[in-house]
Amino acid sequence: MSIPNTMRIGPFIPTVLVKKRYLFFYLIIVWFSFIPVFLEFWLYWQFLWNYSRPIHFYTFLPLVILPMYITLVFSAIFIAKILFMAVNIIHKPQVGVFLRHPSDKDYRYWCIRNIIKRWPFWLSHRFPFPFLDNICFKVFGVKTKFSNSLFEGWVDTEFISFGKNVVVGQGAIVQSSVIIGNLLIIKRTIIEDDVRIGSHAIIMPGTYVGKRSVLAANSITTVDQKLEDGYIYVGIPAKKFKRNYFFEDGLQDKIGQVEDVEALRAKYEKIYIKRYDEISHKERKELKKEQKEEEKKGIRLR
Amino acid sequence: MVEETKSESLDGSENSQEAVIKEPVKIQFKIYILIFAIIYYSSWIIPGFILITYFFFIFRKYFLDTSNFVMLFTELYPLLSLILMPLLIIVCYLIHLLLIGLATKLCWSITEKISPSKNGIIPRNIQSKTANYYHMRSFMIKYGKNAFTKGMIPWLSNWFFNFVGASKIGKGSTIEESVGSDKFIDVGKNCYIGVNSTLASHLVQGIFGNISYFEVKLKDNVTLAAMNQIGPGSEIGKDSFLLPLATCLKHSVLKGGKYYVGIPLRKIFTNKIMAYLGLTPEDLERNDSLNEFITKNKKDKIKEKIKEETEEDFTIKQEKEESVDIDCLTKEDLALDFTTSSAISRINVKFLTVYIPIFWLSGFLVSIYLYEYTRDPGFTTILFLPIAIFSMWYIFIFGVLFFSKLLLILVNLIHKPREGIFIAEIGDKDYEFWMLRTELKKISLWLIRNSPFSWIDVIAFKWFGINMDFSSHLNDAWCDAEFVNFGRNNLIGQGATIMSSMVVGKYLIIKRVIFDDYVMVGGHTTIAPGTIMGRDSVIGAISTTIYNQILEPNWIYFGIPGIKLKENKYAEERRDLIMKRDVDQQVKVEMTHEVNIDEDKKKLIKTEKNKV
Repeated sequence: MSIPNTMRIGPFIPTVLVKKRYLFFYLIIVWFSFIPVFLEFWLYWQFLWNYSRPIHFYTFLPLVILPMYITLVFSAIFIAKILFMAVNIIHKPQVGVFLRHPSDKDYRYWCIRNIIKRWPFWLSHRFPFPFLDNICFKVFGVKTKFSNSLFEGWVDTEFISFGKNVVVGQGAIVQSSVIIGNLLIIKRTIIEDDVRIGSHAIIMPGTYVGKRSVLAANSITTVDQKLEDGYIYVGIPAKKFKRNYFFEDGLQDKIGQVEDVEALRAKYEKIYIKRYDEISHKERKELKKEQKEEEKKGIRLR
Repeated sequence: MVEETKSESLDGSENSQEAVIKEPVKIQFKIYILIFAIIYYSSWIIPGFILITYFFFIFRKYFLDTSNFVMLFTELYPLLSLILMPLLIIVCYLIHLLLIGLATKLCWSITEKISPSKNGIIPRNIQSKTANYYHMRSFMIKYGKNAFTKGMIPWLSNWFFNFVGASKIGKGSTIEESVGSDKFIDVGKNCYIGVNSTLASHLVQGIFGNISYFEVKLKDNVTLAAMNQIGPGSEIGKDSFLLPLATCLKHSVLKGGKYYVGIPLRKIFTNKIMAYLGLTPEDLERNDSLNEFITKNKKDKIKEKIKEETEEDFTIKQEKEESVDIDCLTKEDLALDFTTSSAISRINVKFLTVYIPIFWLSGFLVSIYLYEYTRDPGFTTILFLPIAIFSMWYIFIFGVLFFSKLLLILVNLIHKPREGIFIAEIGDKDYEFWMLRTELKKISLWLIRNSPFSWIDVIAFKWFGINMDFSSHLNDAWCDAEFVNFGRNNLIGQGATIMSSMVVGKYLIIKRVIFDDYVMVGGHTTIAPGTIMGRDSVIGAISTTIYNQILEPNWIYFGIPGIKLKENKYAEERRDLIMKRDVDQQVKVEMTHEVNIDEDKKKLIKTEKNKV
């Protein structure tokens, strides 16, 4: 309900800055988006500032600031969209695995796109109501519906499509691009209807989440993982936990609680990856063997 | 940031009969407010002066008083004053940021001179000068951090931390928004710290326990993908790549050059990496030998193959949906042994129209203030400008808070909030009113959390009927504003989620969450509805509780779902010992260090020589 005060949350736009001169785009968008707002203010001033310090000027001022803010957002969206389209014509956004280095063209353009999108998204998210975010999402190419709630977690702003009634939980991250090592992985993420993503869960690029399935709290999917319809997924990486029966009717009195938490923990341990501390001596030896073999293979590959 | 580690063969054989000192942390509100006032006032006064002068003497004269719309664009002066206004706003904003940096640096260096920050455990149960200055520093960095990372130009935040001297961040590194990572960290060049990743140089262990305060060191070219937690004292070597949600325990040493995953993190094999990240061996090779590929890239720049995004058929072959017989479902099928979220799916626009009069009314209060404030503009007007901005902001917030509370009382009269399991569909009265209540509270809480002095959000929570006082704090957490009971001196970790409601499939579950006194919730932990936490109990970081779980008093819980780890006995343990762990070799080494406390209070702490 209330979000942490040191974070912005909402639509996620990486702040990676490959070259400092890209900030010029940002400056232009910020600069020109203010001009319609001042024109609007001029209009208000002309109508109501008739004589010295009129009271009605002050009375309606708060009511005018609201549309002025919305004008600011829309003019920012308008200018950013034009620039965005121009940049996309020069270099089409594409999915794939790219190098995290200024020499990689896709990486540079990914950065430019983020800088262009930042100001409208920032503005629309500074507004207490989340409707403007939805408009921003739609304008910049995320398929979403107004019934979705994407405002309490981080949602990437390209290559994502949502169904209806999707809920992204508090602090969850839905990604279509991720930086790991020297690689930037961009892949299309698809989330179907009635999906629930638990708090602090992470959806990696390329994930497909089927209808009515649930990703529980503190879980993570892998790249290109496909979650089937109507199941509950748990774990790092996510594994099938059980069927989602909670869409049936008449269960109000039957929904129960877990009595033995320790037993449940043991069940979870099987789903989550085994911890290193719990591996026996024998298993560890075998693991080391495997590791050596793998290293040999690695040398051969090179 | 709170984090728990596995117990290291600590047997409770030494049952000391003497009572352990338990003094709560002293929060020096007066000094905090003074520091805040210095930073806030000095950062607004000069930009405010420039903006006001420009507005009254140039913008009003040439632009606003021009009565012809066409003349705005044809005449030179009106056009210039219009076009320069946004530029002036940007410049003033930059000056504002610069002055925040200067003021914070001044305060920071003064406190550093009195009590320098150094590695070591700071006891939390004994009041000391070091602990006080530690708290003061973590307070003063917050305003600047919020202004920079949440602000219009987040790219300057690296400069801010380097300039203040709070932490060292190398060239080309990016730090996304996060709750921690604000002080005592050393990040190398070309690193990427993903969203919600915390570089925690400090963790709190128990209300009457320790604050571990050790520098976090990241070498060059380290990437943390997203939501990685790095404990204090960790040293992460060159070219370490952490997958999302990989968590580094305190005092871990990573050699680097590898991929790591899991809670707690461990290295993984190349096969697994390729499976997890959908990579081909060539991609990995590209990653390992980056420099070769850069030169290659330059050579055949023309040869660029554009991959067409193929429309994959994502539909998985499904068995035909059979109608489920409800009576056949077992207890296990219907047990809530997982946790989801309490975010609302549908936002009912028609209810929110109520907010327009609320905004107007509270804006009207501000307008009256503005009217009186600008009665005769002069030197004093500018002198009081930062204070005026501050008070206008807060008049507005408290106006919204007041009117939304009035509305809430009305709504609650129509339908009383109650606990239970309801159907989460439009048409169910409980569900609709739950959404309405949440939306009503959300906006005022949003406003107060986004204000400069966001620590007073406790007032808003109190106002909405939650039992809590200023001794507990939760300003860095997601928290539902109904059906939560707080005790005294609770500490809710950064990025934690407290939910008293949860939607599972078709059902909405509302159950009261209860915290007793001295309870502590770790960072990024999810508290499910119905959780009851006993006195002095702790739940570690990145854990979850499940529906209706009861945590016993005086115990530390950890994991997903949280189970008993060890007894909460931080105040009685030896504090000069730390456990360094080498993640690659899986070796643990015990080391001693100096406890970070005033000289005259050192005898209160149990060490090898000095057994209390």
